[in-house]
Amino acid sequence: MNPVIIFDASTLISFSMAGLIPEIRELKKIFKGKFIISEDVKKEAIDTPLKIKRFQLEALKIKQLLDENILELPISLGLDDKLIKTKTQEILDMANTTIYGADKDIHLIDLGESSALAISKILNDKKIENVIAIDERTTRSLAETPNELKKYLEGKLHAKMTVKQEKVDFFKQFKFIRSVELIYVAYKKGILKLKGSENLSAILYALKYKGCAVSGKEIQEIRNLA
Amino acid sequence: MQEKENILKILEGTKTSIQKGDVVTIKNLSNQTTNTAALTHDPDNIAIAVIVYTISKLFERQDYQKLPGWQEFYNTIFKCIDNSIISIKNNDDAQIKTNLDCLRTSLVKVSGNLKKHIQDVFRKASINKASKIYEHGISMEKTAKLLGITMFELASYSGQREQVSETPIIKGVDVKSRINLAMEMFK
Repeated sequence: MNPVIIFDASTLISFSMAGLIPEIRELKKIFKGKFIISEDVKKEAIDTPLKIKRFQLEALKIKQLLDENILELPISLGLDDKLIKTKTQEILDMANTTIYGADKDIHLIDLGESSALAISKILNDKKIENVIAIDERTTRSLAETPNELKKYLEGKLHAKMTVKQEKVDFFKQFKFIRSVELIYVAYKKGILKLKGSENLSAILYALKYKGCAVSGKEIQEIRNLA
Repeated sequence: MQEKENILKILEGTKTSIQKGDVVTIKNLSNQTTNTAALTHDPDNIAIAVIVYTISKLFERQDYQKLPGWQEFYNTIFKCIDNSIISIKNNDDAQIKTNLDCLRTSLVKVSGNLKKHIQDVFRKASINKASKIYEHGISMEKTAKLLGITMFELASYSGQREQVSETPIIKGVDVKSRINLAMEMFK
């Protein structure tokens, strides 16, 4: 089975607002698998902003990707919608009870993010290679650096936090990339319209300023690797 | 409503600061609600954070205070804050809700140009507070929903703020490994 990239709304929003939707189209041409979005992500990245004049154009551009089958819904992988909904809720409940502090569970994520994790989990169970493209940092941090997230929350919320280890272990199975890594791929494969490392840097900063959680230091590292 | 004592302290401080014209203190008071809002997701705490920040931004603008309707707006806001303080002190939940609703609606029940300005400031205040809550470690989607804004608004605003992208919790997998993972997917 070919690999799958599951897109979160945050990544689609960064691409769209930075004017980089054509790059998604080009990336799809060289990708052997599918680009997937969940119904919940579709709602956040397309359906809701379509009703708001200020973001209608960005939403339309993302919708066009769906209309052209560049982005596809999970049904294209033969995944059962009911199963995705059930898993989404299970994972949402688990994520939002992983860190506890100030006498309450800290609710960290929402349905779109959880649905991306749910699709990834189903694909993992089927041994289908997949990665989640997500630009927002909390979901990634929950899976990759839960103890750092705990410390961060302690500092920000001024409360002692505890992490439920059995839940943390569940989230270790997920793999993440961001829009900046996808642009790096586009650069290396020669499909970026703007060539040269100066232009690469400009694109990476555009993504950062449109919401991709990437530091200036990381952008420098990406440039050095290019 | 959660953390009533904190809300009471903030409203009392806001009232005094409005009387003194001390905009900086009002702004600082609104920041004090961010922790509680991020921790509890309590709609009343979130509303107070946005309203108090909106008030600080409105009182900062001397030109708004010359617009028709300002005095009426000022009187309504002041009265709603006062009534909210009394109802919290009386621990009267029904009245607390009524008075907080009065605060919310006082921001939209204005006429003419002032209405447009207030609504604009209110929207921007919601985005600003969302960005602060996102900074506190709550996910982008969750935060956008709590504040009733779109992820597009939150992404573009928080993208300009170093506090989000430069903070240590985002340092998970190192850059090289993540790039290798992305390249591997496109083999």
